[in-house]
Amino acid sequence: MRYFNLFSDILITKGASRILISDLQRNVSELHSLELHELIEELKTSAIEEVLGFYDNESKEIAQEYLDFLLEKEYGFITSGNWDHNFPPLSYDFHDYNIISDIFIELEDISVLNKIKNAIINLKIKHIVIYCSKDLSFDDFYEIDNHFKDSAIESIEIFSSFNTNVNEAFFQNLNLKTARIHSLVFYNCQKAPFEVKDIFRFTLNFSDQDLKISCCGKVDLKYFSTNLTKVLEAVNHNSCLHKKIGIDRNGNIKNCPAMPQSFGNIKETTLEEALHHPDFKKYWNLTKDQIEGCKDCEFRHVCTDCRAYTEQTHINKSGLDTSKPLKCGYSPYTNEWEEWSTNPLKQKAIKEYGMSFITELFRQTN
Amino acid sequence: MILILSKNQETTTNEVIKWLLAMEKKFIRVHEDEFFEIKTKEKRVYIESKRNCFFIDEITSVWYRRGGLKFKRFKYDHPSVDIHMNEHQHWLEDYIIKTIESKKHINKQSTSHVNKLWILEQAKKADLDVPEYFLAEHTNDVILNKTITKPITGNITINGFRDYADSIMYTSVIEEKEPNDFFISFFQEKIEKDFEIRSFYLDGKIYSTAIISQNDEQTKIDFRKYNLEKPNRNVRYNLPKDVEEKTRQLMRSLDINCGSIDFIKSGDKYYFLEVNTVGQFLGVSTVCNYALEKEIADYL
Repeated sequence: MRYFNLFSDILITKGASRILISDLQRNVSELHSLELHELIEELKTSAIEEVLGFYDNESKEIAQEYLDFLLEKEYGFITSGNWDHNFPPLSYDFHDYNIISDIFIELEDISVLNKIKNAIINLKIKHIVIYCSKDLSFDDFYEIDNHFKDSAIESIEIFSSFNTNVNEAFFQNLNLKTARIHSLVFYNCQKAPFEVKDIFRFTLNFSDQDLKISCCGKVDLKYFSTNLTKVLEAVNHNSCLHKKIGIDRNGNIKNCPAMPQSFGNIKETTLEEALHHPDFKKYWNLTKDQIEGCKDCEFRHVCTDCRAYTEQTHINKSGLDTSKPLKCGYSPYTNEWEEWSTNPLKQKAIKEYGMSFITELFRQTN
Repeated sequence: MILILSKNQETTTNEVIKWLLAMEKKFIRVHEDEFFEIKTKEKRVYIESKRNCFFIDEITSVWYRRGGLKFKRFKYDHPSVDIHMNEHQHWLEDYIIKTIESKKHINKQSTSHVNKLWILEQAKKADLDVPEYFLAEHTNDVILNKTITKPITGNITINGFRDYADSIMYTSVIEEKEPNDFFISFFQEKIEKDFEIRSFYLDGKIYSTAIISQNDEQTKIDFRKYNLEKPNRNVRYNLPKDVEEKTRQLMRSLDINCGSIDFIKSGDKYYFLEVNTVGQFLGVSTVCNYALEKEIADYL
């Protein structure tokens, strides 16, 4: 008898009507039928010959094709006599040394950094994301980078409004004088000032959109990533909020700047104090398995959650909002993607977030 | 206080240090370009370089990663005095290294450089399966296509030889005889492999990874010839208990408590290939989610 052994780095996520096969080593995911899932499950408890024997002649051929496909993709291998029990399962434990991995700062005034800089260094935060509603000058960029020159910060990502002083020489200079700036996005830019080539240490993007904090939280295929670390985090924790801290435009310390609950203001509270608030981490362990819709979705381990904008339909026993993310237009039941902003079932929540303009905008442009 | 002996910018060291910081364990990192002077203060011995200065009795554990402690030697004009002072300094240095190695440690400066030939003999003594091997200056005894050759050196690259890819001396199968004699070289029976196994060993614990490359001509002989399009599958693996026990016995006999060990699985046999004390293990640690850098930080 021959036996099929599935490699331990192949993760199969079962949704309501499809499965997602994620190859955690090659970082790709593929959608497949529930039929294939059934076959894989049967191959875990029975020999190949036995499994094929379950089927009539016509289905047997399909089952054989599925098996050939699994081997061709190198999702597993065949042994004779028994399964190879020397291949143990992968551990899905998530190991991470950070207290906080990312801080998201909605920056109105650059002097705010003086106030929180020591806390950022103290907490050994790894990545900084800054969203600025104004346009920043060269000195501002330089100062931001320079603030963290002796810290454990690994990257700084900045979103700034575009101004016409920004040209190629500006970035050449910035490339020389900064070390941690990793990504720059200039929004409200009708036309890129020059053709961006891949010559800087940081990535550089110009967008004609008027980016706002409320643009965050979109769920789309293009934001999915099959990446072992991200998947392990998503299996164990909230895929957006875990180990994050945010500061909104008024200086309120939150888990995410777009969320309502504040844990103090930087004027009188330190980041460390806010972090110790019993509710600060309340969403950190809310996984997709507990969220309406997501729990039946095959994409739940490669998708990023959003708790700032939800459909506002479900609250669990601990008082946590477990509703589906508002900006997800996918249904795991029909497998269809629809525009979220015009979905009639979402209009109540859209109105409450004051986002009705988005629905209008979409209707006008389509 | 933990003492780490490593090289500048060495990635594995950096990753372990991130865990040490999170665990709030204090450490001193010594780079390969540091030279120490041995000094005393109030009867306590301390050593000092441009970057570091610490008492030997402060050190509680040591991780020997790469490089090593190096000392400044002072020269004297009078030849006889110079010979005497040279020996004097040698014993002081030896005392420092011996004292440090007697603390809780991961590897030691004195045993970390391994002799591949000697290890093969020790592996046979530990009753591990070892492919037949011999040394020769000619290919007379080589069975073509069934014999491999590889360097017996720790460093398998020749710096500055054409480009980097060309400078690596991968394990190669001998396909034709050489007419002339050459410098004494290492030959070993080629094993038809099911797959390779790389086991990380730390203080008796063994974390194994199967490196499955058999479907691919490019990586058949040496898995370090990476195929970037379709990488080898690296998955968790458990060696049979008896092979693990023999491996422990081998590592104890070599006085090495941390290293990567290569095996080839062929049918029911597990052939021992070599031990690498300074190799990179972050790759397999990550894909198998072993978190070995955390294990090291925990141990120190």
